[in-house]
Amino acid sequence: MKIKTLAFSTLESFLHNRLLLLVLILAICLLTLTLYPLLQAKAHTTGENQQAMASMVLELISQVMAFASGLGTLLAAWGAADGLNSELKSGTVLAVMARPVKRWEFLLGKYLGVMLFMGCYVLVMLALSYAMAGLAGVHLQVSPLVLVLYPLVRYAIYAAIAMFFATLTNTVATMGAVFVIAMGIEFVAPRSPAWMPKLAWLKTALYYVLPSTNLLTEDRFLSLRQAAIKQATWQDHAISLAYGLDFALIIVLFAMWSFHYRTLRKD
Amino acid sequence: MTTPAIEFREVTKVYRKRLRGVEVAALTNATFSVFPGEVCAFLGPNGAGKTTSISMLMGFFFADSGDIRVLGYPPGDVRAKCDIGFLPENFAFYKYLTARRLLRFHYALTGRSQENAEQVISEQLSKVKLTEFEKLKIGKYSRGMMQRLGVAQALLHDPKLLVLDEPTSGLDPTGRKDVRDLISALRAAGKTVFLSSHLLSEVEQVCDRVIIISKGRVVQSGRMEELLGAADRVEILASALTEELAARIVEWGGVTSEHDHGVTVVVPVDKKRELAELLWQSGEDVIHILPIRGSLEDLYMRTVGNEGGPS
Repeated sequence: MKIKTLAFSTLESFLHNRLLLLVLILAICLLTLTLYPLLQAKAHTTGENQQAMASMVLELISQVMAFASGLGTLLAAWGAADGLNSELKSGTVLAVMARPVKRWEFLLGKYLGVMLFMGCYVLVMLALSYAMAGLAGVHLQVSPLVLVLYPLVRYAIYAAIAMFFATLTNTVATMGAVFVIAMGIEFVAPRSPAWMPKLAWLKTALYYVLPSTNLLTEDRFLSLRQAAIKQATWQDHAISLAYGLDFALIIVLFAMWSFHYRTLRKD
Repeated sequence: MTTPAIEFREVTKVYRKRLRGVEVAALTNATFSVFPGEVCAFLGPNGAGKTTSISMLMGFFFADSGDIRVLGYPPGDVRAKCDIGFLPENFAFYKYLTARRLLRFHYALTGRSQENAEQVISEQLSKVKLTEFEKLKIGKYSRGMMQRLGVAQALLHDPKLLVLDEPTSGLDPTGRKDVRDLISALRAAGKTVFLSSHLLSEVEQVCDRVIIISKGRVVQSGRMEELLGAADRVEILASALTEELAARIVEWGGVTSEHDHGVTVVVPVDKKRELAELLWQSGEDVIHILPIRGSLEDLYMRTVGNEGGPS
């Protein structure tokens, strides 16, 4: 009950955050601009080029959603970092923590609040994907569950990482740390360029330590055609999602441990 | 023996800035107790360690050494927090909420049954005179209204112990009187109140116990009547004063002041009878004799003087 109260209060605080809403409005404006090439593609589709145009449209949708997905990652990290730090900075945390609320309950409530917000964001993204595909006259082959669960789990990882750093430092430093980690993930991914032979061990080590969020990108499924969709079974999806959730859970536990020992006011 | 509601034993807290290698002792071997049913004032200049002590008491900070117990539990223990009402200094909350919604949020966090929530919230809003502003967003509240709302949220779950950090800060004289009356009512109801304040005259009116802290050390602690002591001087109002008697009073270290309806004389309590007899012998009337007790302000100034730490 207490965790639910804190989670919904966190969600409400996001919905009243003007900066966040401004970013979302700007993103929606940018995405609206992509409607033009989609409608153009639809207009130029003929019986002969139907296959090629459908592939092109799906690729475009995939790229647009990759942008939205990247923005979502940023929002998840920022939401988690600011959600905690703004409470500490303003002192609102003191009145809350004077209540019979355990520190881990408070942190979990904030985290779930961030995830509720990201859940809303993912649903909007899903609606947008289908709207774009509908407008362009193509059919998305991927299950809506994949488009919901993959980004949610990825956001859960980034929100957990940001929340952990937010228990140690301020929002700006937290976002810096998250950015470094996100870059690190890209640099150590198997498809990234090879490192100097002497540093190959470091790449391997980092690959094991950092989350493989590339496994959890949903936009790659958007560009798939019927022939290719069979490649990923539900077992594959379950393994990827379980891996992501496991990683997020461990980081959240680290964040709870760190928050348990921090002062709730600046020394 | 009664278990203290609040107990600090040899508590030390040092703030460290590791990068700069700076260490500031915020609290050094602080020892004091507050017993159930008492209203205790926690006094000291800015930077003396009051807010640090309250933060440790609430479990927001951790002591470097020593032991703290609140209602018999360690600070931050949920079992203790169920019975604590807390008003932080500069109470802050989500500005987009209304007073009722804020109190609803806090009530949900108490873990109590939601059945009577609305009724309890209405009562608290009425008690702090915010009923007519309950639909106004908190962001539009004045500082005084915020403070009253803070008091309401502290009292929301009928706690046994109230920890109030500067409860009258930002309040006008009427608001201050309301808080004073409220504290008196809480004392009458058997609640324990631990409050920090700079308004010594107000504290003197409502408190049973005083703890004075300076530079992180407890410099005075005890019940109000013990610390202020029995009257050591008396004020005598006489119809007039002969020159000879006036000179004698100065020799005793007394003070005289003339006004329309007589002469007021303040002398040490051991000269009371002698002066009264001399006045009668010289044919003057003694209109009244009043004992003068030391004030909390005198005690505070004697103890702390003009000391102060960083704000």
